[in-house]
Amino acid sequence: MLIVEDVRAGYGRLEILQGVSLRVPAGALIGIIGPNGAGKSTLLKTVVGYLRVTAGRVAFEERTLAGLRPDQAMRRGLGYVAQDGGLFADMTVHDNLVLGGYALPSRRAVRAAVEAALERFPLLRDRRRQVAGSLSGGEQRLLALARALVTRPRLLLVDEPSAALAPGMIDRVYEDLVALHRSGLALLVVEQNVEAILAVADRVFVLDLGRNAFDGTAAELRDSDRVRRLYLGEAAA
Amino acid sequence: MLESLLEFAIQGIVLGGLYALFAVGLSLIFGVLDVINVAHGEFFALGGYLAFAGIVLLHWPAAAGVLGAAVGTFLLGLAVHPLLLGPLRRRLGRRPAGPLYLVLTLGLSTFLQSSLLLAAGGDYLRVPPHVRGILDLGVTAVAYQRLLVLGTAVVALAGLFAFLAFHRQGLAIRAVAQNPEAAQAMGIPLGRAFTLTVALGVGLAGLGGALMAPLFNVYPAVGFPLTIKAFAIVILGGMGNLAGALLASFVVSLVEAFSVMAIPSEWQNMIAFLVMILVLLLRPQGLLGRAVVR
Repeated sequence: MLIVEDVRAGYGRLEILQGVSLRVPAGALIGIIGPNGAGKSTLLKTVVGYLRVTAGRVAFEERTLAGLRPDQAMRRGLGYVAQDGGLFADMTVHDNLVLGGYALPSRRAVRAAVEAALERFPLLRDRRRQVAGSLSGGEQRLLALARALVTRPRLLLVDEPSAALAPGMIDRVYEDLVALHRSGLALLVVEQNVEAILAVADRVFVLDLGRNAFDGTAAELRDSDRVRRLYLGEAAA
Repeated sequence: MLESLLEFAIQGIVLGGLYALFAVGLSLIFGVLDVINVAHGEFFALGGYLAFAGIVLLHWPAAAGVLGAAVGTFLLGLAVHPLLLGPLRRRLGRRPAGPLYLVLTLGLSTFLQSSLLLAAGGDYLRVPPHVRGILDLGVTAVAYQRLLVLGTAVVALAGLFAFLAFHRQGLAIRAVAQNPEAAQAMGIPLGRAFTLTVALGVGLAGLGGALMAPLFNVYPAVGFPLTIKAFAIVILGGMGNLAGALLASFVVSLVEAFSVMAIPSEWQNMIAFLVMILVLLLRPQGLLGRAVVR
């Protein structure tokens, strides 16, 4: 579904990704972990089109994403939830959801998509007239997720869904991610909370200094002494 | 005394309607694009010229002339972002470009003034009143033309606020003003939102120029003093804050109108700037703060 091959990208002359490759099959939940500065968020931003690919290939459903702006990539079927949620803080929950449907073909389609999102996240229905910036951190994360679903993506890219959340809320967010995965949506999730992502991902890619350091299932990753030592903070067996 | 107070109040409110048409558009452009449009006054002048062309030269009915001028200015405004601001934004990428935009719109201001001078000459042109007659209020009287300016300003601004609050494209403009990256993730093309914003902003200025054409003479630099005053109003209201610009328009116009009771009328134009300086010293974020188009 998504193919990233030897991709190089970064901010101006600062090259963060130095030849990263990964694949996301249809319907899979893929995790990306690695230390700070490894290029995890940069990879998502590059796939979506915020950053330019200077070398390599990014293709979604066999069509290249090179040169597309983020809004064009979204219309191809990608969804993106930024680390800070990217909410329109001064607008209501309802308006945030409606904006998620900006690219949908009709008002009826937007209404249906917003209604479906509220069905999935009933908490937001009670809050729909509330300004998004006044929600709790966890509620904001759920709204960001719900809004991304209104765009009707076939692949959802999520940047650190557990960041700055209380443990109970992390469980709640992950329950929703797993439910989305089970409904057939493909997910590519960047995460610092290694245990949370290992518990649910079909496959995990480890990045280090802008390069692939490892990839495999959660069990394979746990079996690798090097990975456990470097990225899970455990002493080697 | 009561007669004078009422007259000054009416003058102030009518002038406030004009200031609001002008300043809300300027503030909208700043709030969404971070661009101070120095050429705003030239779109006001253009509105006046288009009204003159429609009403005087082509003998259109006044309503068609005013509407045509507003639409014409809006359509010309659609070209400003794709031809001028957008290419600069693309070339400069993420680097801050505020001063460059200022110079660019100053260049556009000079270009438009020179073009108007070339096309229409430097003479003062007169447009007949769109509506004739005077409303007698007993203690004072007010020309229907002035009431038309105020009424149209109220309708146009209410339309703009409703558009931004309820229409899909209006919501998109507000989204871009608040968080451009997140707006893109919703599938909103930034270029389209910027283009529409500039066109709406200068379209309001053009509408103001067309409405005021019978009250001011029309000449190429007619809008420039208004631009300078609108900067004071926008700062007073809070940069990019539309409700603030609306409020500040009426604060400035009413203070100006009543000031003639206390100070010589030739000092009247200083009032807006005195108020602006006081606000900058005491409340630099403006009356309502920099809430932008939200």
